[in-house]
Amino acid sequence: MRAQIALGAVFVAAAIPKIADPPAFAHMIYNYRLVPGSFVNALALVMPWIELVVGLLLVLGVWRREAALVAAVLLLVFLGAIGWNLARGHAIDCGCFDVRSAGKTPEQLLTDMKWVLLRDVGLLLLAAQVLLATSPETSRRYS
Amino acid sequence: MARATNAGRVAAVLVLAAAAAAVSNLAASTSRKLAWVGSYSRALEVGPPAPEAAALPASPSPSTGSVAAVEPDLARSFPPHPDKPAIEIAPADVLHLYRKKMLFLDARRSAVYSEGHIAGARSFPVWESDIDDRVKKLFEEGLDQRAPVVAYCSGGNCEDSHMLAEKLYRVGFDKVLIYKDGFPDWQKRGLPVSKGVNP
Repeated sequence: MRAQIALGAVFVAAAIPKIADPPAFAHMIYNYRLVPGSFVNALALVMPWIELVVGLLLVLGVWRREAALVAAVLLLVFLGAIGWNLARGHAIDCGCFDVRSAGKTPEQLLTDMKWVLLRDVGLLLLAAQVLLATSPETSRRYS
Repeated sequence: MARATNAGRVAAVLVLAAAAAAVSNLAASTSRKLAWVGSYSRALEVGPPAPEAAALPASPSPSTGSVAAVEPDLARSFPPHPDKPAIEIAPADVLHLYRKKMLFLDARRSAVYSEGHIAGARSFPVWESDIDDRVKKLFEEGLDQRAPVVAYCSGGNCEDSHMLAEKLYRVGFDKVLIYKDGFPDWQKRGLPVSKGVNP
């Protein structure tokens, strides 16, 4: 129960600055150098809204299994995107909560990226907990 | 009651998000809007300048405002680069071009431009939805395309000026020069800065 509210709150908090300024988020996605040019804008528009809807569903406890599943998929995508850029030494702003470039040095950015990976793993564990708590197997065993 | 994951609900979440995104984008102001299509599509409609137009002698157009006509020695020092959208130049060259009143374009976000920009530079926010219209308008002003144009953003890893150069290149500007160190360097040198939405 607490896990789902915490996870939901993080997703809502992450979605709002991106929804407020889509071009800034598009710039962030572009910086990852993973998405073809023509998809950057569409992704920048839709992804924050997926985060917001998923976050609200988790906070409200509606469709929590589905919401946790989408959250987990998003987190895996974020982990992959940050991990790939970290592996190739391409220093970028995460764009996770703040979509304005912080003006950090590449070294600072690479350190930040490692912390982001750790944070995303933590959030993934929360999503896994919600998935486990709502799984048909668990329900059957404990109901 | 056992609850399996409902694929329909997952789809509903995604559809709802896409619909909300579409509505919010329609409602957004120009500086917050994104184009649905690829960034370069509309600028491309303008097409490269006709060869005969390029062969005409340089004549300052009445609409060029404060932008000066290109001097022959300036044209020689900064030859066109038809094979690539832009080349990077040193700060000393930037200052030289500024004193010669060449056109300066600011590729950063319009909000950042308002906070402070190179005095006289025009706002060309490469990430905002009306950028292609701005490029098209600039092309239609009939500027001398042989005059050097300086594009800048916020220095460091910033590539907005390169993206702007790419757009200008596609409508026929082949003398776009990048001020690599950008606005932070300009500020550090204590050179003229303006605030607000106007150049």
